Amino acid sequence: MLKYIRERFAEELTGPALPFVAFCIALNLTAGQITAALKIPLYLDSIGTILVAVLVGPWSAVLCGSTANILASAFGNPAMMFFIPVVAVIGAFTGYVAKLGWFRKWYLVGLGGILQGVLAAIVSAPISAYLFSGVMMSGTDFLVLYFRSLGNTLMDSVLYQGLASDPVDKLVSYAIVFLLVRNLPLRLLSRLHGAVNLRTPDRAQ
Amino acid sequence: MNFRIDLPTKLALVLLLWICAFAVSWEAQVVLVLLIIMSRFAVPDFKPQSRRSARAFTRFLIYSFAVATFVLILNSLLIRGGSTFGSIGGFSLYQDGLFFGIRTASRLLLLTFAILVFFISTPLKDLIRYLQARGLSNSFALILLLTLHFLDQLPARIHQIFLAQQARGAPVDAGFISRSRALFSILSPLVLSSIVESIDRGTALELRGFLHRPTSTEESQSSPGQRNVLTLLILFLSLIVVLYTIAQWLLG
Repeated sequence: MLKYIRERFAEELTGPALPFVAFCIALNLTAGQITAALKIPLYLDSIGTILVAVLVGPWSAVLCGSTANILASAFGNPAMMFFIPVVAVIGAFTGYVAKLGWFRKWYLVGLGGILQGVLAAIVSAPISAYLFSGVMMSGTDFLVLYFRSLGNTLMDSVLYQGLASDPVDKLVSYAIVFLLVRNLPLRLLSRLHGAVNLRTPDRAQ
Repeated sequence: MNFRIDLPTKLALVLLLWICAFAVSWEAQVVLVLLIIMSRFAVPDFKPQSRRSARAFTRFLIYSFAVATFVLILNSLLIRGGSTFGSIGGFSLYQDGLFFGIRTASRLLLLTFAILVFFISTPLKDLIRYLQARGLSNSFALILLLTLHFLDQLPARIHQIFLAQQARGAPVDAGFISRSRALFSILSPLVLSSIVESIDRGTALELRGFLHRPTSTEESQSSPGQRNVLTLLILFLSLIVVLYTIAQWLLG
């Protein structure tokens, strides 16, 4: 098993992929600065993970998301450490759908984003409910408390909150990555392992 | 044998505190949180390693206590059960909600402060070196070190692109739709330049044979030195807390 994982990493992490993964980890942690400067109400904290999943591969995306969360803990947001399973699922799922060629068509990107959001909500709900009793120190806490005040259990409230906000967030992130990679020259992207997932008859170069 | 607070000791302490976040009462958790905060000022090994770390700690301290107060008030207002103990703006505060809020806030604070004190008092480069000595591959270590490099560079690069786009008339201050479009005019050059830089760096790594270099055995086989009694004691205590909690659960 360990040998298999090592081989997958070695396959994906060729020369340019190593610095690119490092850049995407940093992008996850600093993308908030761009949205804050533009006054856009988005986090984009998994945009780097999605970029790596599409352009490099699922294993590297899991590594990218997990490392970003560990570093986010180190830089003053310690709760992020406990959400490594969620970013691991985001990386693995996105890498898988990218391999299936979903990032070639806009409607499949939309579908993938929504499915990803639902999956992220399902994985994060038990962590959020059992470890933090639904309090994540963010604006979505109001939604959890609202669902609780309606008489739902804590687990259900956290899940409903996730299902209400995650699909939108992930749909936006998927759309941004789709538009980004679409506008970049494939000749340049082809130096990365996952660029083969983007090749279409009208975009051979 | 020694009693130093080194990196493995701190990791063991984080483990113990995380176990306590689920195994001990909220009163004990509050005491532990206060001890962690005091240790940041009183114990030299837990002091922040940089001004940035010190700022992150202070910021989180203020933020977390504001959030804890918010959690207590909102839970008292919205989770109705038990007797009322006061009111805010005509809305009653309930005892069951208050206790749920206290349990939640104390656990949250203990979990987060444990990991925060570890990171502010441990330089990331030391942690990477320690992990490398424990078998972390050169590629992963390189990714971590490059990430630190990019984290230093990216804010300035984002600012530069932002100013350049503003100068050429990109609608960075216009309506919401225009600003959303401007997001691409900042992200595209950022990602493009990073790919070009990655190709350059990757080529340099390949030419130097980095990717085919075996993991250094010199460091991974290095002796851990004297056994740290403090680390062993903390791990032993963690085991006792886990066993005690399981026994209590089994005995009802």
